[in-house]
Amino acid sequence: MALQLPSTQTGVPRDDASNVVDAMLLDDRVKWISIVFEKTDGGVDHFTVTPFTEHPAGGDKS
Amino acid sequence: MSRIWMSIALAALLAGCATQKMSGDQLARVAKDWSLSIRASQVIPVYPLTEDLQPGDVFLVQTPIDEQVKVYLDKGFLPMENLVTRLTLSGYPNFYRGWPHVMDDDTAPPRLWQFPSPAGAAADFSSAPLAAFPTYGFSVSRSEGLNVALPVQGVPIGLNLLDSASANGTISMKDAYTYALPARWTFDAIRSWSLANADYLKQFEPITETSKDGKSVAKLFYLRVVNRVYLVKTVDIALFSNSGFGAGGSAGVPKGVELLNLANATEAAKQLDAVNGIISKASSPKSDDNSAATGGGDAAPAPILAGGSVKIALATSRSISLVETFRRPLVVGYLASDYQILPGGQLAAPVPTLLRIEGKALIAGQAIKYTGCDPNCKLIRTWRKLPGNKQKLDDWLAKNGGIAISDLETGPYGSLRERVTEELIDTSK
Repeated sequence: MALQLPSTQTGVPRDDASNVVDAMLLDDRVKWISIVFEKTDGGVDHFTVTPFTEHPAGGDKS
Repeated sequence: MSRIWMSIALAALLAGCATQKMSGDQLARVAKDWSLSIRASQVIPVYPLTEDLQPGDVFLVQTPIDEQVKVYLDKGFLPMENLVTRLTLSGYPNFYRGWPHVMDDDTAPPRLWQFPSPAGAAADFSSAPLAAFPTYGFSVSRSEGLNVALPVQGVPIGLNLLDSASANGTISMKDAYTYALPARWTFDAIRSWSLANADYLKQFEPITETSKDGKSVAKLFYLRVVNRVYLVKTVDIALFSNSGFGAGGSAGVPKGVELLNLANATEAAKQLDAVNGIISKASSPKSDDNSAATGGGDAAPAPILAGGSVKIALATSRSISLVETFRRPLVVGYLASDYQILPGGQLAAPVPTLLRIEGKALIAGQAIKYTGCDPNCKLIRTWRKLPGNKQKLDDWLAKNGGIAISDLETGPYGSLRERVTEELIDTSK
């Protein structure tokens, strides 16, 4: 039985963003991931990490 | 003049049988050209046009999303898959508060507009919310076998009347309407329906198939719930000849049809009436039904193709304008939400269909807040990188909530991480 697609995660600190991306890419359906800067809090940059199964701008970019 | 009458009769006949003559490829292009025009307005096209589509219609989508995107881009529209149910939605009077003639129950939109009282009265959408579509341009060529490129019959009729091999044209969808219920309300209705029909939906739980190359491929099913539709009653078509069609000894010489000589307005009006009469007779199953030429309202003639009547509004030597009126407004497009069917027949959070098929919202559900990587998260990360453990974790999660590994590791699932550590990871080593 297939698992649910990974959810977008908000507030991901810079030093753990690569691990979150790594975990999202364990799902074969995830083809693209966006990492969008959110804020700097206490000197630490935070990002929103969003998985996509198709290119977020549409069209065939595979 | 007799050549003109023959041309008109032939045009009407060709319009009637054009569909039969089209090859599969031509039909596909017809659908795509029309659909691209509708899509430009951020609406999912309906093809063929129908009046039998309304908010609350639920379709079971079995085509994988990758395939749907491909079909949508290739064909221009989404085929309507299995109609599962029509939800009995209520709340129109509340949503359209103060709007005249909006009720629930048996007279909920669009019934009161389609079939106003007394019984037999003409359809009256005058109090329906209005919509407007841009004017679309297109090219049409007779060399492609009267590929009209639009699901309206006025184009092939006009092309034949122009006696032209090819033409450019514009199409304006007039008398357009829309109505809807908010997705939040349709959510309540589909959620109630899904709880009552969980046994049925369990047949469509996610399944994993093994592809030819040995990879596991998830097959997901969706319910597509319509929450807004767009209807059009009248289509205006204007055609401008590119060149003469050429016939007999005058091949290659432009020969515009001489329907109107505006210098003689009375004669022109007579000719126009006569031409409209011929078109309506040729296109109506009741060949003796002269009411066809009157057009408009529910008294329009018997349907051809999508159920419309065609009238010539204006004709010159190189251009022609036609008005096609459907018996009642037809749905040309819709907006909907997709709900993934989860294990046990539950439904996931809705995702707008339009965004999903355009690849802009292909994530499941809502965002979650990163909660940090606690000691159990660190244990899981190390453990699942060892050979075979990722599959074990997948299998365990599938039986325990079905969330993704990334959600488990850094999402708000502390107790689930603890169970994974206890049940899967041998921490004594």
